[in-house]
Amino acid sequence: MKAKIFEIKRFAVHDGDGIRTTVFFKGCSLKCVWCHNPEGISAKSKLAYYAHKCISCGECLSVCPTSAHTIENGKHAFNREKCIACGRCVEACLGNALTLYGRETTVEELLPILLQDKEFYNHSDGGVTFSGGECMLQIDFLEEILKVCKANGVHTAVDTAGNVSWEHFEKILPYTDLFLYDVKCFSEDLHKDGTGVSNRLILENLQKLSENKAEIVVRIPVIPEFNGNDYEMQKIADYLKNLRIGKVELLPYHAMGEHKWAAIGKKTTRFSVPSNGDIDKFKELFNGF
Amino acid sequence: MFNSFNIDRKFIEGKYHKVDEPFNPHMRRAYHGWDCPESTGLSIDDIKKGLVAIAKQYEDKSHEVQKARAIEYVLQNTRIDINEHDYFPLIYTWNREIKATTFNKWNQGLFEVLVPEITPQYKLFNESGAVSMWPDFDHVIPDWDSVLSLGFVGLKDRAAAYRDKLLKAQGALTKTQSAYFDGIEIEYGAIIEFIERLYRLSLEKNNDKAELIQKGLLSLSKGAPKNIYEAMLLIYLYFMISESVDCYQVRSLGNGLDFSLLPFYENDLQKGTFTREEIKQLLAYFMMQWSAIGNYWGQPFYVGGSDKNGNTKVNALTRDIIDVYSELGIYNPKIQIKYNDNIPLDFLNKILSNVRQNKGSYVFSCEPGMIKAIMSYGASYEEAYDFDIRGCYETGVRANEVSTATGYVNALKAVEYAFHQGFDKRIGKQVGLKTPEIKNTTTFEEFYNIFIAQWSYLIETSINISDRFEQYLGYVNPSSMYSATIEYSLKQGQDAYQSGVKFNNSAVLNCGFASAVDAIMAVYELIFEKQITNFEELKAALNNNWVGYEKLHFKAKKCKHKYGNGDELADWYAEVLARYFSMKVGNRPNARGGVYKPIMHTAMQFVWQGEKTLATPDGRRAGEETSKNASPSIGADRNGVTAFLSSAIKLNPSTYSEAFCVDVMLHPTAVQGQDGLAAMKGLLDVYLKNDGMSLQFNVFNADTLRDAQANPEKYENLQVRVCGWNVLWNNLPKEQQDAYIARAENII
Repeated sequence: MKAKIFEIKRFAVHDGDGIRTTVFFKGCSLKCVWCHNPEGISAKSKLAYYAHKCISCGECLSVCPTSAHTIENGKHAFNREKCIACGRCVEACLGNALTLYGRETTVEELLPILLQDKEFYNHSDGGVTFSGGECMLQIDFLEEILKVCKANGVHTAVDTAGNVSWEHFEKILPYTDLFLYDVKCFSEDLHKDGTGVSNRLILENLQKLSENKAEIVVRIPVIPEFNGNDYEMQKIADYLKNLRIGKVELLPYHAMGEHKWAAIGKKTTRFSVPSNGDIDKFKELFNGF
Repeated sequence: MFNSFNIDRKFIEGKYHKVDEPFNPHMRRAYHGWDCPESTGLSIDDIKKGLVAIAKQYEDKSHEVQKARAIEYVLQNTRIDINEHDYFPLIYTWNREIKATTFNKWNQGLFEVLVPEITPQYKLFNESGAVSMWPDFDHVIPDWDSVLSLGFVGLKDRAAAYRDKLLKAQGALTKTQSAYFDGIEIEYGAIIEFIERLYRLSLEKNNDKAELIQKGLLSLSKGAPKNIYEAMLLIYLYFMISESVDCYQVRSLGNGLDFSLLPFYENDLQKGTFTREEIKQLLAYFMMQWSAIGNYWGQPFYVGGSDKNGNTKVNALTRDIIDVYSELGIYNPKIQIKYNDNIPLDFLNKILSNVRQNKGSYVFSCEPGMIKAIMSYGASYEEAYDFDIRGCYETGVRANEVSTATGYVNALKAVEYAFHQGFDKRIGKQVGLKTPEIKNTTTFEEFYNIFIAQWSYLIETSINISDRFEQYLGYVNPSSMYSATIEYSLKQGQDAYQSGVKFNNSAVLNCGFASAVDAIMAVYELIFEKQITNFEELKAALNNNWVGYEKLHFKAKKCKHKYGNGDELADWYAEVLARYFSMKVGNRPNARGGVYKPIMHTAMQFVWQGEKTLATPDGRRAGEETSKNASPSIGADRNGVTAFLSSAIKLNPSTYSEAFCVDVMLHPTAVQGQDGLAAMKGLLDVYLKNDGMSLQFNVFNADTLRDAQANPEKYENLQVRVCGWNVLWNNLPKEQQDAYIARAENII
């Protein structure tokens, strides 16, 4: 069984308690316009090119099977259309300007990597977090890796946007210690505008998770042009009041993911950063959690 | 009477050097701050002249007596001041003036007359940067228990009693024993007279501090300190006289400061001598002294730790010390926190919180690893559990061990010499071993053997040199002041620093270790594994400092087998090479009746030796710094802090019986909030449980990030983390880096 992932991050300290290793799965069913991990949206592998790091050494040319890399007038040029994301150029690149987002892995390959920091998890009440993209889109693999993590005594967290069938949750519930559950907004139309999909299934699943007594931390991105207003925040708070939620975390928008959009050849929209005053005000709404 | 600190602070800042004049923190006291009244003593020039006369007057006496007489002269004649802005007096003669007529002369005699056969190689080692070495008098801590319970007067009387006892037991003292006790008697007599002189001056003062100072000096001129102010005054005076006049560095203040001062603290509070707030003010004046002195090596003292039964020694005074230190916002002194799993969590979080805000300077010293390290050369648990920290990270038996830092062996130089048959191209001299020409090497094993031969030669030769000159430490610089504090030394009438303590050890430092591992691995990867170059080309690239070989240079820097990443091969070689060094050095008998101890830290040699080391196969250019302590080469740790710590733990820290230190680099965003504190504690605990010894966190602050922006090649591994948004620093465009820098300036 294989999964497609795009990054493994050790010493992740803000994706659940303690010191954790976070695995980022490739592919997402939401297309959030503010996404900070845009390299995780597409299920296909993508070569990212960080132009400012390129030293035009030409090493990529010699290994590229499709001539996607060329040197023109002494300067490197990258033809994204021709790239088949084989990743051979990544190792050859002397300037570390190329990164392949998306590679296949197996449980046998992934588990030893996740266990490398087990002693650090044990001493900090940490563990592993599966994130993305949307890790639940690769549910069979996720179920398997969660199962073996639990069997090895490792705390598990699943970071999800929740836009999958309830059956998916049922599969992993026995092996998941914590859900980091993204709630983008309450209004359905707004949700469709911002992410491309309805949030009804997402909210239903959250309710069921709560009924199943799962440990849940709700995470809400705060984007002034989208949900960063009293109305939306109040609606989310009202909805969550009736559920069994451990904690609510607000994630203020910032533009730190912008460069990654450019590196994968896509354009993004710049939003405003919420003011500290607004964040403090919204935090008040979620004080009870 | 204690509300004046904020006004006084700026005066204390100018006490040891003028704050508006250029200051070189690498110079030892070659500066002056306040001028003292001329009526209180002689000018520096006159003192120098007087010392020449004193040297002549006593030239037929022992070195102990000659040195003590010189100190006596300085203490009788140096200008002094008791200032309205300070609770601690000023001695004007900082600059170890006695050296010209004592230490320097005898040190020169040592290398020119007593051990001339080692001198050429000794000089070559220092000139080339292969091994930095000198007779070391910089790692000593008196027995603060004796100092604080007896005072200068009690120490003098105790020495006299031991002299009588020995005389009775032996019938007569040997010439060496007589000289030893004479030295103590003269020096301590001079110190007591000096305290009386300070007292007389204090009587002329009439300000809000005068009464306390007068009482304190009077008390110390007659015996032991009676309250916490007098205890601090005694520590300060011992430190200043030893460092500035006696030529011995004092590497801790109390054992630890919180533990040594606790009885005074409790007694004063109970009797109402001082309020807690008044004690905190006094601590502020006390700690500010070392901030104002401002030497680059910093003045350490340690706090916390466990008692014999494993209970924490963290007390109310420990917390007050940290509170005052935090409030002062100073970096010197630096504080070592003795760390164990019994440390109160709120206290630990307070320290970690300071660390992540870059407030103050802290090192964590893990007790279990350090105790094992000390017991590995024969000390009992009783001797080991309340160990001293005798420098930046050095550990040893409290009040009964001397360990000199006798040689800093540059492992990367051994790689350089492997390429040049031991010839040092920079200085044009043969320094290392004449090994086979590298271009004839056909296997990695052959190259490895050549490296080992060079490294072994540097280690062995430096130890042979130390064995010769360390027989004369007491001859070059008798330690009368220190010896009087050590009962073990008094019992035998033997200079404590020469061989009069129970553990008379010498330490050899493993410098540039990770750089050397990376360099050896680069040879393996580039020449044998990937076969993209050969020895001839690599040597040419190194000779040209990589100029003209840019692609090869990038490939060398990009090698995957680098220490500190959890790379199996690199970590395996790092482990065996670390073991090679520690086994070669550890527990080998030295010249003073003790043993050699290995150290895995570099002091400033990673810069100074780096300047003298040519380009190396790891991609380092000539003159660039080598790796620091047990840390990876700059930019080589690409898999984060847990991978690095796992690599470091594999080096078996506690086999480095003198010291082992790691530097953990973190970004402020990685240690924000309660999560961040828990993560830092988790890192510390894993290190602790694996017999780690010293650990210092380096949380990147805005200044460091600015440096990262200007020099991206040094920060290939720097990552910025916010809630799963993972970004390599170097991938961020400038405007976004600016946003992070702004954030780093406001870390909570």
